[in-house]
Amino acid sequence: MATDVVTVVHPGAPAIPRMRVSERTVAILYGGTALAVIGLMGIAGLVLRFTQADVLDVPPDWFYQVMTLHGAGMITGTLVGMMGALWLTVRSIVPLSTERMVAAWCLIVTGVAAVIVATLIGRFAGGWTFLYPLPFAAAGQWDTWATSCFLVGMLLVGAGFMVFCVDVLARTSAAYGSLLRTMGIDFLRNRDDSPPPPPVIAAVVVAIDGLIASAVGTTVVVAELGRTFDGSLTMDALWAKNLTYFFGHSVANLTIYLAAGALYVLVPRYAGRPWKTTKPIVVGWMATLVFVATAYTHHLYMDFVQPTWTTYVSFTASLGAALPVVVITVYTGLMLIWGSEYRWTLASTLVYIGFAGWVIGGLAAVLDAFIPLNFRFHNTLWVVAHFHTYMLMGVVIWVLAWVADQLERAARTVALNDRTKPAIAAMIIGGFGLVGMWYVSGALGLPRRYAVQPLGTDGYSLAGGLFAVVFATGFLLVSLELLGLARSAVRQGALAGGWGRDTEPLPVDERPAGLPIERPAYAIAALVAALLALVALVPQVTDAVVDNTRYHHLQHAAAFFLGVMLGLVLGSSPDTARRLGQRLPGVALTLAIAAPVAMMLLMTPDIYASIEKNSAVHLAFHLGIVALGIVTGFAAAGLGRVAGTFVALLAIGMALMYAAGVTG
Amino acid sequence: MFAVLSLVIALVFVVAAAMSEESVAYVQVQRVGYWLRKRWLAVLVALVPPVLGLGILAAPGTGGTGDRVEVDVVGRQFSFSVDPDSVPVGARVRFSVTSVDVNHGMGIVDPNGQLVGSVQMMPGYTNRLDMTVTQPGRYRFLCFEYCGLAHHAMEGGLTVTPR
Repeated sequence: MATDVVTVVHPGAPAIPRMRVSERTVAILYGGTALAVIGLMGIAGLVLRFTQADVLDVPPDWFYQVMTLHGAGMITGTLVGMMGALWLTVRSIVPLSTERMVAAWCLIVTGVAAVIVATLIGRFAGGWTFLYPLPFAAAGQWDTWATSCFLVGMLLVGAGFMVFCVDVLARTSAAYGSLLRTMGIDFLRNRDDSPPPPPVIAAVVVAIDGLIASAVGTTVVVAELGRTFDGSLTMDALWAKNLTYFFGHSVANLTIYLAAGALYVLVPRYAGRPWKTTKPIVVGWMATLVFVATAYTHHLYMDFVQPTWTTYVSFTASLGAALPVVVITVYTGLMLIWGSEYRWTLASTLVYIGFAGWVIGGLAAVLDAFIPLNFRFHNTLWVVAHFHTYMLMGVVIWVLAWVADQLERAARTVALNDRTKPAIAAMIIGGFGLVGMWYVSGALGLPRRYAVQPLGTDGYSLAGGLFAVVFATGFLLVSLELLGLARSAVRQGALAGGWGRDTEPLPVDERPAGLPIERPAYAIAALVAALLALVALVPQVTDAVVDNTRYHHLQHAAAFFLGVMLGLVLGSSPDTARRLGQRLPGVALTLAIAAPVAMMLLMTPDIYASIEKNSAVHLAFHLGIVALGIVTGFAAAGLGRVAGTFVALLAIGMALMYAAGVTG
Repeated sequence: MFAVLSLVIALVFVVAAAMSEESVAYVQVQRVGYWLRKRWLAVLVALVPPVLGLGILAAPGTGGTGDRVEVDVVGRQFSFSVDPDSVPVGARVRFSVTSVDVNHGMGIVDPNGQLVGSVQMMPGYTNRLDMTVTQPGRYRFLCFEYCGLAHHAMEGGLTVTPR
């Protein structure tokens, strides 16, 4: 078998681990789901384009429903594909949890189902960004249940991504001993001679930014969810916009960086040259960590009430984010391929094309981030063009590449043949033709998200639609080839024997590494902080804040903070951490994610308004919030030092963000 | 410019693909590649300050001195209320825009059909934008933030009269 596999990859390729059955399950679940969701959402995209071209007569209400579904579904489909790719890559280096990955898949698939129900049955058309207060201005089109269903769907997708991120952070930091070493910073400071390989560094950066984005997204989704059963709940629109775009921009951006992590393994596999950790790679990922989290306010350039400094930070970050890509990742990738006798297979060809899509889309994004140009490009079809360039011609192509990489090796066949070569050409011509029409339309100032395009512009939509059909034909042909490879692989017994070679995967170690509060000094600091937060619960403070919603919620956030600190101290006792973290790791993770959500839902004014009339019940309510904090801190402690500390801090951050934005 | 740069990128990938089938010692690729990368990085880093400076200096918003004509624009599903609805040509207009329901955007299209800029309209906030109207005729406002089922039909405008 080893000889056959060698004929597919480069003779000099690094060792490819043999997969366990459970790992193959993850590969099949994530690869299959990604392709299915992307295919279905692609059909939805075709419907949108041909409606704009006046070829299909889809009424505007249905157009916007399908647009909402297409956006939410496509982001989720690409996210699922790239989560699977990076997980499988890192799993051969660090023992990530298969059970958690399957749990994340269940959450995400349930979330997608909820979004489909909300849009196609509930007729929700609030846009995938669900920008407050639009979900509550339905003009009779959709009912409140549809809004709730959509928001729950997004919450579940976010929870699934959070599970993935927590597991990556917990396991990688456990494997390398500290966060600084896992991120390569110790190597950068000449304190570590054997740094983690690039996919691990990429995975940690994605996990950190992913956790922050998920926490921010969860906050605004839960606040909106509260509004679905308390119609009087109001939010600050600028706050909601910031949180929504932080979440949306970061998650969309992170799909690319998830892919980048997998490319560190895919390129060497076909170029036969190793992609090693270097100091520029570490610096590049540190920069990416910061830039992904700070670039999102370019979505608010035309909101002049947004503090100006955030605009400048975003502008700098948006330009800066391109540097690691074009100077380090793609540049090094091309160096590895140059003169390598690159083995051109279906997978490696798609990997290569995806690089080009990433760079061209990135260039268009940089132009859009240039403030004077954004004045003319903001919410035009240029925006649609640039993100489709790197999502369609980058990430979607890479999803195919990742699946092809698995199946070509499993079927021991190079599938770059007379069927797939024209299919790839169709995807290149169709894909770049499709986005090209959007670039032209955007440069002309045509707005995005119009069910009916301005008069005289149907031609661009029609041409774009035809190019989209060409792309879809290529995508379908490649997908059929992949199906054929899968059948061939099954016939050859790949499901029983795996399709890797040489090395065995690492055993899974369920023990969390370290505790959030390991030293007595930390415990004392946490208890002092808790004591200070206790002040928020004294009757005088309660009386003073009762008429001001934001201060009232800040008081709730302080109560939650108090609980989290106590929970961290209690959970950091080695005995309890061992029991919770080792025996019930799933329970710890579930509680750490669910308890902050419950805390924010409890802060919905309708829930506590009647309670406040009775002081004993009111006190019990505050104690309930403290209890949820204790549960959160206690559960976070079971996730280990790095992941546990992150999750606990983010939970406190969620409480504070909620208090800042929900105004009544 | 974007089209030209995209073609250059495509050309680089075509050349690299052609070179991928050759056999070149990686040490040699690294020597040339790292030499070139330092210069490539230097060029990009050198571009950052002027691009940042230009971007910030030419950023839209409010500023400058002199007389301005205040124009208040209120967005609602699915119309714009504009007050006053006409100004003389050459006027420096300060648009003060807000919304009474959901988020909207105000894309400003000049009488030649050219998009000349946009500003977002948000409930509870007033965004201000200064702009000189240089041509007589009708400046159309199109909604530039998805706002619901008739988003594409939301339109308003400002008449610019000859002096």
